[in-house]
Amino acid sequence: MMRQVTIQSMLLLLLSWSASAFSGQLLTPYKGVQPAPDFELVDVDGEKHRLSDYRGKPLIINFWATWCPPCREEMPSMNRAWHKVKDDVFMLAINVGEDEDTIFIFSADYPIDFPVLLDQSGDVIKQWPVKGLPTTFVLDREGNIRYTAVGAREWDDDALLEIVKGL
Amino acid sequence: MFFRISYIHFCSIIFMLIVAPALAGVTQSVDAQTDLSSWKIDDGNFELELAQLLPDQTRAFFLARGFSKQIANTIATSCIMQTIGRNSAEKEISASIDVDLKRWRMLHNGAESPVKLKEQWDSEWSAGEVIDAARLAFRWATFPTQQNFAHGDYGWGMTSFGLVPGERFDLKVVWSAAGVQKEAWIRGIQCAEER
Repeated sequence: MMRQVTIQSMLLLLLSWSASAFSGQLLTPYKGVQPAPDFELVDVDGEKHRLSDYRGKPLIINFWATWCPPCREEMPSMNRAWHKVKDDVFMLAINVGEDEDTIFIFSADYPIDFPVLLDQSGDVIKQWPVKGLPTTFVLDREGNIRYTAVGAREWDDDALLEIVKGL
Repeated sequence: MFFRISYIHFCSIIFMLIVAPALAGVTQSVDAQTDLSSWKIDDGNFELELAQLLPDQTRAFFLARGFSKQIANTIATSCIMQTIGRNSAEKEISASIDVDLKRWRMLHNGAESPVKLKEQWDSEWSAGEVIDAARLAFRWATFPTQQNFAHGDYGWGMTSFGLVPGERFDLKVVWSAAGVQKEAWIRGIQCAEER
């Protein structure tokens, strides 16, 4: 009798677990609340950007390189996302290890309308919890890391952008 | 009806839901356009794919990143494979996947050996031998030595096996899900030959 009840309980648990199978997770919640490491970098036009200047709106910050296939894959959707939410969300792309000319050539095929910053020395990416490219962080209005995404995403997905706008 | 399920039925359901997907299958395929081979492990929650890269492709990539001809050639002829790891679980509450290349083992001519890690490559190059931009590109273009894949994450990068073009080897791929170690052998991987 006891065994039957245990089995039934486990089965119910398994079935409820299965019910959430297709809800889909777009972003991974970051463990704890951690302020993002500040930096100052120049963009492709030579203008300085400091992370701490980007407060008051959620911020999507993407580490990438032109030679990285999944980075290329997601860049068009990032640009579409920027046009959807630019009034409510900041967006930055941090290129790792390349120069303005390389990005200029890349942007002929993959237009990027939001700021692209240059981390040519790789000093900034070292301060962030990045293991591979692309890695994207979503920060809240106070500059805390709230979500991460390793690998490409469809950034113009409405459900994903609603999560970001709510931070 | 539901509450009269037998013990045997229960075990069958458990097998279908948990055990069967955990049995990692290995498949090999050949790209019709490039004629390059790839090998894929899929256990239902984790996918790992290794795809041949022609030495010329690798050579060109690293030359373009600023490596000397000699070093680009050394890398290119060290059996570089494009490697893609993915947490492919359909359930968002599924465990994250940890991959540590230090735990992978190669079997070549009866001898077991570890995979050549990016840190080893980096330590072989003196300060004046490789410019910083090239070193940085190598670091980020190669598969992370340790990586955690949350639900929906995937990672990409080159892995080197230190064998000359055309050689064959077996590879034990090791990963863990929620701290439980899993492994699967991929047999007969072949390093791409020069064309």
